Amino acid sequence: MKDFLRLLWLFKGSWRWVLAGVGLTALVILANVGLLALSGWFIASMALAGLGLLHLEYFMPAASIRGLAIIRTGGRYLERLITHEATFRFLAQLRVWFYEHLEPLAPARLQYYRGGDLLSRIRADIDSLDNVYLRVLVPTASAVISVLLMVLFLAWFSPHVALADFAGLLLAGVVVPLIALRLGRGPGAQAVALSGTFRADIADAIRGFGELLVYQALAPKLAALDRSSAALIATQRHAARINGVWSAATLLIAQLSLWVCVIIAIPLVGRGIDGPDFAMIGLFVLASFDAVSALPAAYNALGQTLAAARRIFEVIDTRPAVSEPSSEVLAPSQFDLRVDNLKMRYGETQAWALDDISFAIPEGSCLGVVGQTGAGKTSLLNVLLRFWDFQEGNVRIGGVSLRDLHGETVRGLCAVVAQQTHLFNTSIRENLLLARPDATEEELCAALRDADIFDEVMAMPAGLDTVVGEVGTFLSGGQARRIAMARAFLKNAPLLILDEPTEGLDAVSERAVLDTIGRLTRGRTTLLITHRPQALRLADAVLVLEKGKARVRDK
Amino acid sequence: MALHSAPIPRATAKALDTWLRSRAKAVRLPLTAAIGIGACGGLLLIVQAWLLAHVVDSVVIDHLGLSSAWPFLWGMLAVFVARAVVSLFADAVAFEAAAGVKQTLRGELTRKISALGPGFVAGQRTGDLTNLLLESVDELGKYYAEYLPQMPLAAFIPAAILVFVFPTDWVSGIIMLISAPLIPFFMILIGKGTERLNQRQWRKLAWMSAHFFDVIEGLTTLKLFNASRAEGEIIGRISDDYRRSTMDVLRVAFLSSLVLEFFATVSIAMVAVYIGFRLYYGDMHFLPGFMVLLLAPEFFKPLRAMGTQYHARMEAIGASERIVALLETKLPERPAGQNELSSSARLDIRFQDVGFAYRADELVLRGIDFGLARGERVALVGPSGSGKSTIARLLLGFDVPDEGAITVDGTDLRDIGPENWVARIAWMPQAPTLFHGSIGDNIRLGQPGADEQAVRRAASAANAAAFIERLPQGYDTIVGDRGQGLSGGEIRRVALARAFLKNADLVILDEPTASLDPETAALIADAVERLARDRAMLIIAHRLESITEVDRILVLNEGRIVESGSHAALLAQNGLYAETSALYHEMLS
Repeated sequence: MKDFLRLLWLFKGSWRWVLAGVGLTALVILANVGLLALSGWFIASMALAGLGLLHLEYFMPAASIRGLAIIRTGGRYLERLITHEATFRFLAQLRVWFYEHLEPLAPARLQYYRGGDLLSRIRADIDSLDNVYLRVLVPTASAVISVLLMVLFLAWFSPHVALADFAGLLLAGVVVPLIALRLGRGPGAQAVALSGTFRADIADAIRGFGELLVYQALAPKLAALDRSSAALIATQRHAARINGVWSAATLLIAQLSLWVCVIIAIPLVGRGIDGPDFAMIGLFVLASFDAVSALPAAYNALGQTLAAARRIFEVIDTRPAVSEPSSEVLAPSQFDLRVDNLKMRYGETQAWALDDISFAIPEGSCLGVVGQTGAGKTSLLNVLLRFWDFQEGNVRIGGVSLRDLHGETVRGLCAVVAQQTHLFNTSIRENLLLARPDATEEELCAALRDADIFDEVMAMPAGLDTVVGEVGTFLSGGQARRIAMARAFLKNAPLLILDEPTEGLDAVSERAVLDTIGRLTRGRTTLLITHRPQALRLADAVLVLEKGKARVRDK
Repeated sequence: MALHSAPIPRATAKALDTWLRSRAKAVRLPLTAAIGIGACGGLLLIVQAWLLAHVVDSVVIDHLGLSSAWPFLWGMLAVFVARAVVSLFADAVAFEAAAGVKQTLRGELTRKISALGPGFVAGQRTGDLTNLLLESVDELGKYYAEYLPQMPLAAFIPAAILVFVFPTDWVSGIIMLISAPLIPFFMILIGKGTERLNQRQWRKLAWMSAHFFDVIEGLTTLKLFNASRAEGEIIGRISDDYRRSTMDVLRVAFLSSLVLEFFATVSIAMVAVYIGFRLYYGDMHFLPGFMVLLLAPEFFKPLRAMGTQYHARMEAIGASERIVALLETKLPERPAGQNELSSSARLDIRFQDVGFAYRADELVLRGIDFGLARGERVALVGPSGSGKSTIARLLLGFDVPDEGAITVDGTDLRDIGPENWVARIAWMPQAPTLFHGSIGDNIRLGQPGADEQAVRRAASAANAAAFIERLPQGYDTIVGDRGQGLSGGEIRRVALARAFLKNADLVILDEPTASLDPETAALIADAVERLARDRAMLIIAHRLESITEVDRILVLNEGRIVESGSHAALLAQNGLYAETSALYHEMLS
């Protein structure tokens, strides 16, 4: 419930659109019911008038029927426009809101959610929140409004009929779908899980096709896939059965309500209601069930949406890993790096990721860092870039303590080339301008030349404006690495951090990248993380990290 | 959301529709049953309208009480129950039609993919094939569960209603008859234009989402350049632009539904008003008039649902395009060889002037000439893209030389039965696959019957036993999806254990130590050393340090062997190898 209210709060910027959409939807529902009911009343009255049993002024009702038809048609058009407008407004707000809350958390807190699925989870969750207005809010709110109005209207003729209709609407709109939802949850979740396994099985079989062939395990694998498919279809069948029972039950409830209302109303004819009223009530009850027909889908979506909202709030509610100083001291003017007795861990119960580390890099020199996976290299970077806070010791740049500086100031002093460099899915130019938005064409070209990739970029179809495919698919690993270095040249920061800059490159590319690094480190205070001996040649001293502890080895 | 389908040309769509229909033959029984049951439902609807009209007529016109209405009311109750049962059965039967098609089709597709072989699979994206087998096939389901049974009903139910309406009131019948075809007509007319606009908007939405997630993925990078905060505004601006342009499109697109609503609603209103006046002038009785009014909305309901069915059909056609393409892909023309290698064979492998092209006229390998025999180790080195992995694929029989031949003990590899050949090989690709299941079963991949002891022996030979036994579940640890939970070095050691257990004559290893830290690389190198004993081994490397011990090194460049010999001999040659090696040593010193 709290999640739901908080979700509604996100609509605060566009509540006028939200209300207008709900109101119009209810209006269309009511116009539809009114059209049928009035038609029933009209022809019954006309029949009685034709028999001379009733005097009728037929102009008004006939015009009203046409009027309701137009309201229903035009209202439906407006309703669709307005609800979509509201949806898109919400979508824009939601994304900005999410981004602005996520930004202070990156990357430290987000690492908890790693394992590849953070992004796909966020993607699916945001997508399902996109639809919360159209799929959940509008059908629910408009159903509540129109049901109340319809029941009040019926109560004016007969409270008993109104009560019977209300009970039917409650059963068909709330009770039965909720039961169906509960019953369907098991097979639904099972179907999702099974299709996940099936997908993974297929992916395995395709990725490992050669191995299956060589190890002669293809036939059993195909038989296993057949079984997975059959199991998936079986759960889909189960879910479809429940769905079928539910829709049959809803149909039956609507008709039974009509039946009960007719039985209640017949004795009332002549005592409070007349013949045309009776005809009207019958059609009214029958049509009233349209108002709740969209509810089951809304409940279904609500479950997904709330789960998605909970996960999104969970990410958002995380506290940033580093608190910024309230006032900032003057940025350093010298750029030697000193780390004294640094201790850092990710949680109070966890082991020290960095345990009493001390080292110093004089301005303009290069310290190589080696160590196995998990030795603390990434933790050291997290501390230096102010992505994570540390518990003990001190880190100083040019004598200024890291904690007295804003994270942005610290990162402004550092240029980073990482093993996993993210190139954005736009032009090479845009990717470079990230480092210095006001850079001129000449400066861009100079940076590319420094990174030894100018000729290759110019040979590409659109030169600087070539669009980098997603995750840098257009470029080879070595090229992407050198574009990232061009970015570092362009940023021209006094501190340089290189994280496994040559990993995964072949000999020729590695050589080219190392040459570039040689130029890049000149005059900059550099921390070079690598386990390639070839790269360590560039270091003036080497720090060996082992399980969070360090020893310095001079060359 | 019709994201995937660039509009399919009419003729193609028609051909695909024919194909979809042809698949329905296998499920004719449930399909016919679904249509029959649905038709019964339609008739029950008419009976229900008649019964209700009767009740209302007796109360309103004849002023009769509840007692005389009871027979009709009981009749209504029976019809209600019957309709509920019909709806239940119609859904269930239609599901079976779809299920039958889906299951057979998946079986056919997986068999086709395996018949097409590794050469085909290598050229496909994993995600594409999984989507094809899972989602595309599921999307076809709607064609059999919804479109095929509902389309005849969309014609039958309105027709049945007209049969009742015409004799009672022909003018109402005419109103319905005229407006009925206008609905699908306008639906198609307006739908065609807006479909394209719609697709453009969806593509835009997809692009916008891609941008959003690209930014989130690169958040760390943005932060490093202090550019992350400005991005929030950009996201807002892009989303707002999208809203504006989409609403421009939707204003027009929703007109189509306006027209549809208009015809259905206004027809009902016209029928009501017209019947009212006929009753007023005493031209007709109340009962048939009221019944026509009850049936009028039911007349338009299936017609309005046609939009959904049409969409289901278009989706199925879109999904079937790639399914049909895959099923119609020609199998490689080469007839599989039949010869058997004797198990005591010497295993003398010779590449004789071998050339290979993935695409016609673009040779990636040419003039490859070398030999490999039991007890020998040959390494392939060279820059990426020089053709090392292609040589391994040719030796595995995954691809066939376009020039020259590979012979084994004098027999052309093409003439040897593929099953017979791969039975002799153990192979570890660059990124070995662990299949969903236990580590033990993964090691047992090639020998499903191997006992626990054999598995342990293989694991310890591969230097994997220690880490496996440290896992809480040991050999029963379930690994999934890309060997989740295991590191790259551990996955490779499990794959090596697989190779040890198979005890093959020929071992092919693709970059066994790439991207590993020195300690893990040493563990693997040690296991590889053991694996090589008494076998023929082909090993691919792009780092030179790891392969100085082998018998022969082939240096590849741009698809040719440019140098070959032992480490020492190659150094003496002063060629590419010596140069690259010197480069390393210079860097190392």
